Amino acid sequence: MKTWLTYGLRAIVAALMAAPIYWVFVIATGKSGDAYSIPPVWRPLFHWAPFMYVWIHTPWARYVLNSVIISASTIILVVVTSALAGYALAELKFPGNSLYFYMTLGVMMLPQQALLVPQYVVMFHLHLLNTYTGLIVPFAASTSGIFLFRQFFMKLPASYREIARLEGVGTLTYLRRVAVPLARPAVATTVLLTFISSWNQFQWPLIMTNSSGLQPIELALSHYMQAYQSHWRDLTSAALIALLPILIVFAFTQRHIVTAVAGGEVGQKE
Amino acid sequence: MTNPENAVEGGHPDIPSWMLWWSRVRTQWQDLVVGYGMILPSLVVFLVFYYGPALFLLYIAFFHWNIFSNYSTFVGLHNFSVLLHQPIFWQSLLNTAYYVVLVVPVTTLLALALALGLRQAWSLKGGGVSQALVFLPHVTPVVATSIIWVWIFDPNFGLANAVLHALHLPQLGWLSSVHWALPAVMIYTVWHSVGLYTILFLAGLSTLPKQVLEAAQLDGARGWLAFRRIILPLIGPITFFVVVLATITTMQTFSQIYTLTGGPHGGAGGPAFSTTTDSLLIYQTAFLYDHFSLGSAMSLVLFILILAVTLIQKFVADRMVFYR
Repeated sequence: MKTWLTYGLRAIVAALMAAPIYWVFVIATGKSGDAYSIPPVWRPLFHWAPFMYVWIHTPWARYVLNSVIISASTIILVVVTSALAGYALAELKFPGNSLYFYMTLGVMMLPQQALLVPQYVVMFHLHLLNTYTGLIVPFAASTSGIFLFRQFFMKLPASYREIARLEGVGTLTYLRRVAVPLARPAVATTVLLTFISSWNQFQWPLIMTNSSGLQPIELALSHYMQAYQSHWRDLTSAALIALLPILIVFAFTQRHIVTAVAGGEVGQKE
Repeated sequence: MTNPENAVEGGHPDIPSWMLWWSRVRTQWQDLVVGYGMILPSLVVFLVFYYGPALFLLYIAFFHWNIFSNYSTFVGLHNFSVLLHQPIFWQSLLNTAYYVVLVVPVTTLLALALALGLRQAWSLKGGGVSQALVFLPHVTPVVATSIIWVWIFDPNFGLANAVLHALHLPQLGWLSSVHWALPAVMIYTVWHSVGLYTILFLAGLSTLPKQVLEAAQLDGARGWLAFRRIILPLIGPITFFVVVLATITTMQTFSQIYTLTGGPHGGAGGPAFSTTTDSLLIYQTAFLYDHFSLGSAMSLVLFILILAVTLIQKFVADRMVFYR
């Protein structure tokens, strides 16, 4: 009896949290007047025609491509910079090592909203406004990425590195051929978290770009939202384009993501 | 091939001591050069795009300047005195305070309740899936999900009023009402972030020492008593972390306010400035109206406010006798 109660409670909570996302599907794939029906429609019809219409008749492919370019480059850069710094912090003893550790921590403490104005000035003087570089490079290093790699590299047996040294293998080769492949869970977590944060970017591109050719999908959506007030089926179809990649990735990796966010030992499964 | 690392530490009859010393120096030197080389890429990013601008803010807030014309004059505290005479600045601080004071406790308590109440449920069959569904909103893009919430808050056809109608409660204007626009944004924010804090609480709860809980249960501490006397003191540190994180995040809410209150003409912050919070005002002042000096002064105020609130929270947490 009590078990059924907890099952029921749990199901209700989960359903309530997922309901708004569910309704994106209902409105996007429903009949054209469904958003205005009283009482609200709750069953999706899976008419994909409006979705295809929005996809074809507005330059969403361009926006998706922009988002893909930005996310992919950010992910690659973050993995590289995190692996390098994480290794240095974990394995190498040099003056400034612990100072850099605290510097990495400190970046998270800086209030992002208060930095936008000076950041804009810096971007202006570096001629990075309205460029892909300007949308990518500021996010090329990540505190959580560095921490993850540092944690993983600290767990590697010291003898591996000793052997590599004896064999005359350089640090970079060792990192590329031995350490990073062994730290696959850290790579996966960094890739996932970076993908989510960079796909969901909104405010930075809003401020740093003013040409539609560079817009990532979230920014394009916000303009679309203002232009297509209450054309609910078109709007939700467009929202679906931004949502689907996240939903798909999350569906397959939710356990990994939840554990990573909880700060758990992600690698223990392997 | 002779390699210095072959040398046995502590001296070997065949190897002169200067060689050992040399090999140690060489290793240290190598670690230094390689180490700095490896932190350099991320160091440059942090310095140029984060620490640099943070220091730069301290400088530009005291100047009258504009990015598009090449003049700048030192004006001392002038920007701040202008700011203090702007009613909208005070209004934005009030709105932010109202928003933070409601969102942070509600989110924290709800997350704690979800984590505690469903702690056993999560571990039952299928718990992972429902846990993931609770967490899901947090990873969804804000603009995309705001679209459906604008519909949910639609005064005529939205779900929110349909629910109120079903409960025989008066229907509300939500985003078009001066009194209910900010609460509507709050509801969105709680929905979007509660999953994150639930997961953090669950992680905190899973580290509690099992023996203590079992011993307490044997001694007859159950339900509320067990929570009040055993669990609550033990999860003090994680609660503090959640409250600080939630406060810092909500003090800087931008995206959902911008998109939810955007309105037909893109005038976010309305109706009648009732949802203009500090971050939104900074954005509008600096990037919409090009008042960079005022924007930077506001940024500095926000920076100091966030720092102050965090320190106060730390002080309060230290005063409460928490298990650490």
